[in-house]
Amino acid sequence: MSRLTFQERMLWAQLAAILAVGVYYVHFLAHAGPGHHYFHAVILAVLLVFGSISFAARHRTGAVVEDERDRSIAAIGTRWSNIILWVGLVLIMVLYWDHGSIHSAHLVIGLIFHLLLLAGIARIVRELVAYRINA
Amino acid sequence: MTSPIRNTIRELRAARSMTQQGLADLIHVTRQTVIAIEGDKYSPSLEVAFRIARVFDVPLERIFQYVPPRPRGK
Repeated sequence: MSRLTFQERMLWAQLAAILAVGVYYVHFLAHAGPGHHYFHAVILAVLLVFGSISFAARHRTGAVVEDERDRSIAAIGTRWSNIILWVGLVLIMVLYWDHGSIHSAHLVIGLIFHLLLLAGIARIVRELVAYRINA
Repeated sequence: MTSPIRNTIRELRAARSMTQQGLADLIHVTRQTVIAIEGDKYSPSLEVAFRIARVFDVPLERIFQYVPPRPRGK
């Protein structure tokens, strides 16, 4: 098994961040209902920290850290993520309009949030698998 | 999954005592991409293929060969 590349390390970091946000949401906010939470601030902080670390790491090393193969693998991950997002959004719309089983905006936002987490996790896992298969 | 494109990069590199990282730097890709190309796991773009040919100063067809996949059931 070869060493983890920069892209793979970034993907593992993203996966950890997404799971941390998901666990935080499930534990602290799932039953809290709408209100003044600091959840948005936590998400923004995680994004900011991750973005800064990624930016700094890319510019610290002089070597090429991303090339056509990385972009091709990213496209594969994005395709999976898009499929999940589209299927999820269509399901939410069907539930909302056809059956009227979703009555609260809070529930819709919660579903969209989980859908985004799922799509993000699927993208990262698919990319990690692609990196290992083509290692 | 292996690509139908075979290549002789490893042999050409060995003949010149060039490391994978050295080649990667010259053709502006990561070392992992060179490893994947050498292992027939990834087919490079035409641009990268031409860069490789230029580095080794040999025609493209001496580096890359297309091996058509065998038809199913034969």
